[in-house]
Amino acid sequence: MTFLTVARKDLMLYVRDARFLATLGLFSAALVLILSVAFGPIFRDPPLEAAATIWAALFFAGVLGLSRSQDLEAESGGSDALRLTGADPFALYLGKTLANILLLSAVFLLLLPLTAVFFDVGSLKALPALLCVVGLALVGYSAWGTLFAALARGLQARELLLSVLLFPSLVPLWIGAVKLTHALWDGGTIEPVRDWIKVMAVMDILGLALAGWLFESIQEAAE
Amino acid sequence: MILRADAVRKRFDERTVLAGASLTLAPGEVVLLSGANGSGKTTFARILATLLPPDDGEVLLDDEPVGERRRAARRAIGFATHQPLLYSGLTPVENLEFFGRLAGIAGAHAPIPALLERFGLTAFAHVPLATFSRGMLQRVALSRALLNDPSFLILDEPYAGLDTEGVSALNAILGEGRERGTATLLVGHDHDRAAAVTTRRVHLERGRIEPS
Repeated sequence: MTFLTVARKDLMLYVRDARFLATLGLFSAALVLILSVAFGPIFRDPPLEAAATIWAALFFAGVLGLSRSQDLEAESGGSDALRLTGADPFALYLGKTLANILLLSAVFLLLLPLTAVFFDVGSLKALPALLCVVGLALVGYSAWGTLFAALARGLQARELLLSVLLFPSLVPLWIGAVKLTHALWDGGTIEPVRDWIKVMAVMDILGLALAGWLFESIQEAAE
Repeated sequence: MILRADAVRKRFDERTVLAGASLTLAPGEVVLLSGANGSGKTTFARILATLLPPDDGEVLLDDEPVGERRRAARRAIGFATHQPLLYSGLTPVENLEFFGRLAGIAGAHAPIPALLERFGLTAFAHVPLATFSRGMLQRVALSRALLNDPSFLILDEPYAGLDTEGVSALNAILGEGRERGTATLLVGHDHDRAAAVTTRRVHLERGRIEPS
């Protein structure tokens, strides 16, 4: 399974890079802290403000993760080494996407208790549904993000370019994530906003389909 | 199998690097390609290894353009260049296992200990590459290029950083490959070090490859 091999390799490299992990963790935690101070001390709508905060922190932490993911390849000679293996480019893409999903899931698990404490939101009852929302959001984010990160690889100010590309593309995904998280933390039912699940699923499928179509061309053209 | 570059041309901006360079690599050949700095040797090696598309001309594997079966062609080629093309956070064993699995080599573990032993790296097999010297990285990079027992070896400056033992190990492997029918292109200026294994010498000048 090529994609599992690639994901395992990326995760091993992340885990061994203490400086990167520390930067990612501190940066995302600091964002939650700063936004909680900005919205507080008296919150008007804690579930909404908490949902906006955690997804904003995840978005920017994700940009760091996506950039690092491509830096790993740049340090080993661009994608030359991967291309020389003759492996299926889409499997390489899926592997990097999976590693990004798992990395961001870890960041989410770090931010969740911080957000719950700072904003006094959340309940264990809503947790399974919330994890489904997180899954939908992170699949889409990583699918589009890995594709755009490959596109931006080797360019100067690639983090800025990545944010500029990602933000407008992922607006529907992020609005859906905020609305569903808000609904879960506000009362536990997602009925009024359940259509956003379909929007997020469509974004996930679109991102993966676009990558299936374009990733090999991007990988070959980047050299 | 025969790998052939036919009238390959390549420009970077206004500078013409290759102006109709042609070369055929036949089984059992070890060809040394030399040329001045900036003459286009590395560009030619990358085009032959399918990593860089030519502007004009083509690379053929058994008379079929490699573009039409690029993935299969890449699995038949072992390539090493100035950059090690390795992950510095992984050990030699982890790097070779990773690339072996991606290349679909059955029992990817099997040739790894043997390759590391031949290059004198057994004691460093489980040490991350971040602590390695240039010569040690070169040994691991050469192991990666040899991992899939390729039909074609394209080695750009393969002796760079290698000590006497490393050169002997590489030449012994190249000699054995030559006997088995591996076609090898050595790129660089190390005429003396490569003399023991070279069967043909060519020179890249003004974008064309000529016998030397």
